[in-house]
Amino acid sequence: MSIIAKSSTKVLIQGITGNAARLHTKNMLDYGTKIVAGVRPGGGGEDVHGVPVYDSVVQATSKHPINTTILFVPPKGVKAAAFEALNAGIKTIVMVAEHVPLHDNLGILEEAEKRGALVIGPNTPGLISPPEKTKLGFVPSQYFMPGPIGVASRSGTLTYEIVSRLTLNGIGQTTCIGVGGDPIVGTPFPKILQFFEKDSETKVVLLIGEIGGTREEEAAEMIRDRKITKPVFVYLVGRTAPEGKRVGHAGALIEGSRGTIESKLACFSEAEVPVAETPADVIRIAKEILKR
Amino acid sequence: MRLYEYEAKQIFQTHGLAIPNGQVVESAEEARRFAVQIGGPVVIKPQVLTKKRGKAGAIRFASDPDQAFRESQFLLGMTLKEEKVSKLLVEEKVEIDKEFYVAITVDYSSLKPVAIASPLGGMEIEEVGQENPGMVKKVRFSISKGPTEKEFDELVSVFHQTEQRVMKDVSEKIYRLFRDYDAEMVEINPLALSKQGKAVALDAFLNVDDDSLFRHSDLVRPRGKSKEEFEFEQNLKEMKWKYIEMDGDIGILSSGAGITMAILDLITMRGGRPANFLDTAQMDADGIYKAFSLFSGNKGLKVLLVNIFAGLNRCDDLAMGIKRYLTEKQLSIPVVVRMVGYREEEGKNILKEINIEAIQSLEEAVEEVIELSKGAK
Repeated sequence: MSIIAKSSTKVLIQGITGNAARLHTKNMLDYGTKIVAGVRPGGGGEDVHGVPVYDSVVQATSKHPINTTILFVPPKGVKAAAFEALNAGIKTIVMVAEHVPLHDNLGILEEAEKRGALVIGPNTPGLISPPEKTKLGFVPSQYFMPGPIGVASRSGTLTYEIVSRLTLNGIGQTTCIGVGGDPIVGTPFPKILQFFEKDSETKVVLLIGEIGGTREEEAAEMIRDRKITKPVFVYLVGRTAPEGKRVGHAGALIEGSRGTIESKLACFSEAEVPVAETPADVIRIAKEILKR
Repeated sequence: MRLYEYEAKQIFQTHGLAIPNGQVVESAEEARRFAVQIGGPVVIKPQVLTKKRGKAGAIRFASDPDQAFRESQFLLGMTLKEEKVSKLLVEEKVEIDKEFYVAITVDYSSLKPVAIASPLGGMEIEEVGQENPGMVKKVRFSISKGPTEKEFDELVSVFHQTEQRVMKDVSEKIYRLFRDYDAEMVEINPLALSKQGKAVALDAFLNVDDDSLFRHSDLVRPRGKSKEEFEFEQNLKEMKWKYIEMDGDIGILSSGAGITMAILDLITMRGGRPANFLDTAQMDADGIYKAFSLFSGNKGLKVLLVNIFAGLNRCDDLAMGIKRYLTEKQLSIPVVVRMVGYREEEGKNILKEINIEAIQSLEEAVEEVIELSKGAK
């Protein structure tokens, strides 16, 4: 088992005729993802690597069983595309685009919550489940292998760096998910922890976090309060970074002093969660936990 | 993107919010003339992007035109948080009975917009919230529907009954502003209430979401920067790069915010001094060439670390970019390349042609640049 991306997942690609979408549709198909249809307004009747293209999401869902969509549309078009998918009853939406307008993003997440749908992203490379041979998005699959660790990360490139080392050390993964680099994302760490907690194959969870926001703190509190019983460990970056532009007044007002590296470290320490300082630390801690 | 107070006030005014009678000036003489026109006491405020003007003693009052001239002379040319003061907002001094706080922003925890109000304006709202939590009202609401009547009523319940009607009106207006301008935050602190019960925005804060600027292109112009800095930044923005200079001597070129932060941490923890934070979009040969040009301008650099982890891009393509730059141009500092991923061997062979031995391990590459940065002293 894995979470969210499974071999039974039936995938739609919105914006499938774009260059990046074509390339990654091919990569996903090669890896084993079941892509059943694509959408491109005005492009109905074409096919992309054998995947039939429709003019609208509703046309696609009326012809195929679809439970997940990946939006390969530019940031300006994300809101309309996401609402089209939600209105067609699709329950999982992966939004890879970076620079989605803040208010659009808030609107999408509100509508998704109302409809009980799951949003991954925005600003995410997507997710990959090696045991299920399924990836949703554009993570480079060569660095991943099946195994017992669930990984959730706020950064794509850092995930590749870390997971490739896990794989080199023979430590495989159930699912690796990029939760998204924006301050507002649909499946932040606390939500993902609940998914991994329920997944019988996931033995250990690695969170790759960074400064800013309070999702690390919230995750730590869940662990402290025993809402998560599986072992969790963390790699935190940004200890020495210049203050990010999003870490400002508005956040400070609502969160108090939370969001800083000190606050995150204190919360994880209170929850007795091991924190890696370097990539090498990550491997050492993973091995220690798996040996138990 | 943060607007200047005077820009935000112009927008506030078109949304029906009262602002003091004022004028933007660029010289002390202009300030004197406006003070004559007002015929009474004025307040003079530098137009800079830091929020701490009051604490820096940079908000000045003048009771007559001559004093307005002197205070303006004092403020013009001042530097606040690295920003040189070149514009002042001169305003009539408003009769104040009470000072309130009102804002709309985004609550990143609940993923909802939140309206905030307090009868204790003019101070740091965080401090008010900590010392008098009962005096700060926060109401979260739906982004698609906006605050309901009931939610507005709840928000203004923090004010005295006689003040609630006017505060509700102000709140409705700043909510419109928040939506119309894709704001991260709209804030009035302080909002003055006159004896007659009229509300006037004494300050105005408006921060527009950068990702929404395509809907507000009329607002995009240099702020707090020289023309060259602004053009440099616009250029980076078009490439979707983020670049922050720091005061160290080790240049870092690596794509992705997360991995770059990890490298900054590794360098700093081992005693090195990073010179920048650069987050590029996915790299190709052209991108890496452009990034090298960026570094060539930084005279404080002693060494450059290039980290390549090719997942979707290719080592050989990136190596070609490095080779092209180093053969066409001169770079007087050593370049250390860590390279792994797709077509790694091909990439390493290309680098060998320009006498660069690529390193496999990130930690080793970090050690190497730190040594080079210290040895070059």
